[in-house]
Amino acid sequence: MTEATGIKCCIAGKILRVNLSTGKISTQNTEKYARKTLGGRGINSLIMLNEIEPKTKWDDPDNLLCFGTGSLVGTMAPGSCRVDISTINVFSGGKGSANVGGFWGPELKYAGYDNIIVSGKSKKPVYLYINDNRIELREASSLWGQTTYETDNILRRELGDEHIKIAAIGPAGENRVRGSAIIVDTAKAAGGSGVGCVMGDKRLKAVVVRGHGKIEVADPQGYMEEVAKCYRQCAENESLVLSMRRGTIDLFVDQEFPAWNLEMVARNGQDDYWQKEKRIRLMNPETGIPSLRKWVRACPSCPTGCMPYLEINKGKYEGLKGEGIWVNTIQSAARFDIDDPEVMIKFWLLANQLGLDTDYITAGLSWLFECYEKGFITKKDTGGLELTWGNGEALIELIKMVAYRQGIGNLLADGMVEAAEKIGGGSEYYLIHMKGQPSQESYRILKGWGLAVSTSPVAGRHLRGATQGPEHFGPRGLDFKATEYRNQPKAVIWQGKTKELEDNLGICSYVGTWIGAHFLTPANFVGLVNAGMGLNLTEEEMMDHYALLGRNLEKAFNALHTDLSREDDLPPKRFREEEVKSGPFKGFKADEDKYNEMLDELYGLWGWDRKTGMQTRSGLERLGLKEIADKLARQGKLVDR
Amino acid sequence: MEIIRNPSLCYGCRTCQIACSFHHTGSFWPDRSSIDVLRNPQTGVIKWSIDSTCDECKSEKEPLCTKYCTYKAIRANSRK
Repeated sequence: MTEATGIKCCIAGKILRVNLSTGKISTQNTEKYARKTLGGRGINSLIMLNEIEPKTKWDDPDNLLCFGTGSLVGTMAPGSCRVDISTINVFSGGKGSANVGGFWGPELKYAGYDNIIVSGKSKKPVYLYINDNRIELREASSLWGQTTYETDNILRRELGDEHIKIAAIGPAGENRVRGSAIIVDTAKAAGGSGVGCVMGDKRLKAVVVRGHGKIEVADPQGYMEEVAKCYRQCAENESLVLSMRRGTIDLFVDQEFPAWNLEMVARNGQDDYWQKEKRIRLMNPETGIPSLRKWVRACPSCPTGCMPYLEINKGKYEGLKGEGIWVNTIQSAARFDIDDPEVMIKFWLLANQLGLDTDYITAGLSWLFECYEKGFITKKDTGGLELTWGNGEALIELIKMVAYRQGIGNLLADGMVEAAEKIGGGSEYYLIHMKGQPSQESYRILKGWGLAVSTSPVAGRHLRGATQGPEHFGPRGLDFKATEYRNQPKAVIWQGKTKELEDNLGICSYVGTWIGAHFLTPANFVGLVNAGMGLNLTEEEMMDHYALLGRNLEKAFNALHTDLSREDDLPPKRFREEEVKSGPFKGFKADEDKYNEMLDELYGLWGWDRKTGMQTRSGLERLGLKEIADKLARQGKLVDR
Repeated sequence: MEIIRNPSLCYGCRTCQIACSFHHTGSFWPDRSSIDVLRNPQTGVIKWSIDSTCDECKSEKEPLCTKYCTYKAIRANSRK
């Protein structure tokens, strides 16, 4: 297989292994893993595939919780701060992965580590403290039960070091709420797959990092020339940069911004259109969310910045402040029909404090609101809460009930699919999920978006190739439209492959190939990798080997660990059956035949069997994965040609 | 020459700190930078400081911290 032999630099060099059952801590060299995958998520995926036995469950001590910084993290490459967190997906039982930015990843590399692989399960709550070569598992009983904000305060006070960087879970993760996140810098969430639930199950409250070392690159001047090129590309797209600098939500101040009509799923999917008067109330520059923005902040090495800091100075949430609020927040507002800006800010910051994934909360709890509307549950079940559309106060209470497993929250905490089975009576149909994970995405209007979310190996989520038309997504020059089926698989695979590379290199999609920034393109990835790591790769090798490999590692993990099939790659049933009821896309739905045609083509492009979606021997052997192919064949999960 | 930062324009991305370390060491080594950027994650407040090891990037066409600050938060008085 293609292997990047002779990696000289850029990686920190060591993988840290921590066994929470035994307390054993060790290190190993990163290089042999980086040679195969280029780093980051690729290393996590490879380790999971090699070391986790099929039939292992997410809450078995043998499940691994893997933190992986990308190989360019800690350098000046724009957006080079991202961390992949992989583990068994608590929803699908297959591959789980969540990606997060912030200062934690670079700090880990300065401490000398590319990845941390956590195994076992601690008897008592602990946190992992890393200060260069000093690695300690410390007692965390004073932190257990605390929010991520309080955890941050206590650790800073106890350690007396303002420079520490913290990745922590909140009460939700401790209570093994399925949709729990790992929160970095108190504000950035590694949200999907229930990674925070696994961390809580292992009784690991936080990973605290301080690093004093350096990241070297093979060709310093060549690397900086490539960095300068990326900065020039950034400057050429000034209007987008200036928008992002007000926070990505600022694009939605313009009521004519196309995404308003394309990606809002209202009232748990009863419609894909949210009325203009509500949009205006939520995003009015004078009185809406933008008016509560104190400033905007950037992740390390980011030339754009995108994260608003909100502060509420009066009213029922007076004194509330913190970083957060994304486009997802606006989608959530539509999902619950809440146009109160302060409630949405409270919702978002509360989720960060409690360590909850907002997609889980949004898709899961909006389903519960619909259950209430349709009479599947009553006030008696909700502890008196009136779950009527737009009732933000009730939503806030319900979120707390989920995190602390109170009342009906206890039922929801064990998973929404499980809750739907218990509530029954036909309510299951209204729960929107992908492979078991609650999903808040648009499937009926945005065809490429829906295709990518449906086929994501980590059970839904839009960052694995979602597209929204050629202005912002897909390879330059491809003829496709956001709302049409034609050519979507070609756009989706390109977007998916570039994301594979971004996650291995640790580059933020916002400055990479997503949303149309293109400050870094695959050509820049090649330039940075070659100058940084001392390699001599081509763009074709990056896209046709490493990117394909990344997706195939996760696909193989799913095949070995689950019974997911082609049917699970189709959009949720509701969106295949019910049409959009109003707005410019009235009548749209996720046409099953058309989605199946897209699946055929997309499977083929990934090198899989078009009919079953299964991997093929020749495809895997081409990627150097003969042993994996043999393993799959033994389980009857391979098309042997 | 003096390196001056405008706090109201700064996003706390720490690029100036890392660029400075590249000037000093040829690597990305924030601990060996003349600049220290510290952002409190909860308040969003940024503490920025520059120490006496700053040599104004005499070997460069312009100081790397100002060159790579796309937020225009750092500027240098021009060299005479």
